[in-house]
Amino acid sequence: MCLAIPAKLIRCEGDDGVVDLHGMQLPVNLQLTPGVRPGQWLLIHAGFSIETIDRADAVKTFALVKDLQDASCAGNGVQP
Amino acid sequence: MTRQAVLSPGITGDRRSAPPTGPYPADSVKKDLAELERIAAHIGRALSFMEVCGTHTMSAFRCGLAGVLPDNIRLISGPGCPVCVTSQADIDQIIAAAHMPDVILCTYGDMLRVPGSRGSLESARMAGADVRVVYSAMHAVTLAQSTTRQVIFAAVGFETTAPATAAAVMAARRLNLNNFSVLTSHKRIIPAMRALLSSAPVDAPCVDGFLAPGHVSVIIGTAAYLPIVRDFHKSCVIGGFEPPQIISALTQLAQLAGENKAELLNHYPEAVRPEGNLAAQQLLNTVFEPAAARWRGLGVIDQSGLILRMEYADFDARRRHQLCTPEDHEPRGCICGRVISGAAAPGECPLFGSACTPVNPIGPCMVSSEGTCSAWFKYLPNHVHPNRGWSNQEVCT
Repeated sequence: MCLAIPAKLIRCEGDDGVVDLHGMQLPVNLQLTPGVRPGQWLLIHAGFSIETIDRADAVKTFALVKDLQDASCAGNGVQP
Repeated sequence: MTRQAVLSPGITGDRRSAPPTGPYPADSVKKDLAELERIAAHIGRALSFMEVCGTHTMSAFRCGLAGVLPDNIRLISGPGCPVCVTSQADIDQIIAAAHMPDVILCTYGDMLRVPGSRGSLESARMAGADVRVVYSAMHAVTLAQSTTRQVIFAAVGFETTAPATAAAVMAARRLNLNNFSVLTSHKRIIPAMRALLSSAPVDAPCVDGFLAPGHVSVIIGTAAYLPIVRDFHKSCVIGGFEPPQIISALTQLAQLAGENKAELLNHYPEAVRPEGNLAAQQLLNTVFEPAAARWRGLGVIDQSGLILRMEYADFDARRRHQLCTPEDHEPRGCICGRVISGAAAPGECPLFGSACTPVNPIGPCMVSSEGTCSAWFKYLPNHVHPNRGWSNQEVCT
């Protein structure tokens, strides 16, 4: 899936970062978005940040991702 | 209709100068829909717009968009689902690689249940193959560092996904890993759009414009679509994924078609820059080069794939493990190839909803979470498209 999910960068060292996604801390590779700093919102795809994004836009995307996630789980008979 | 940054030939769009998007109050959506109705009635002929992004497919079906569009406006799902467009031969090759002794095959979760000619990666794992789902290509590199077994990273995907593979290959080179290789079928969207317009299947519908993919465009930038606008006189509107954004983009496409204009517009300026992600493009160009690639339903399209450059050929799993290329053929009775090109609707497939369901998928468009058949099955009541114009496709001749 080409969907990228927004998450907030909470710390970074070189190309390695950690983002907060709904309270989960996930590793992320930052080499495609050089110069980003903790506190910025990033679009994450396949473990890589691919772009920076405003917080307001990130919140809008969360709603869509949740919709699609719920739908995907329901379609496969899985609880979201 | 004031949210877009106009990017048509000669005019550059700057996302910072574009008016802010959303939030979208109900009044705004109603206004856009009313405008779309007005334009559609004024035009008085059928218009078909194509989206080439699986997330657009799912979002549009999820919100019931088909039920509110005017009868003469259709949104067709094109070759935007990466799993769906991967040829059967490539899928069979990945499954065969998983069965090789002393191999760990890593892949993203969306490939696990895709049916090959004989089984899937999931069934290969049940039969004893070491198939592991990874969240990032870099995890496969980390795994290779911790084992002496051969690690093959198998992935499909468009320009959004390919930079991660390129980064993994470069990391493996840096680490001198001789037990890591990639087996990928990455695709480029622009050559596919060109192929659809220049040599589409004879029964493919006319496409009056494209709802261009949001996150692919984050990487390739808006300017990449200019050849589609200039050479084929088709509008491209890069759209966000929320239903109001899709409606707004379709309204804009209809207006342009009604005026016989072709323009490039960015309706997703909050994430998409005119130049795209230059770091990702540089990484792609370092590791990969464009080459002909086989697509399900579209055949071989020149320059539409990405293969490793000679400097990185040591990391090519096909070369290292001397993998043969299986014959390419679709499952018997499956029309996924025609669905992907917009030539047929899922409801026209004799297997749809009976032999082929999300629980027991036969074709990739049903198994993929963003496949068109999957969307039809999940979201359309009785699996029937509500747009009465759908069954009367205007066919290119």
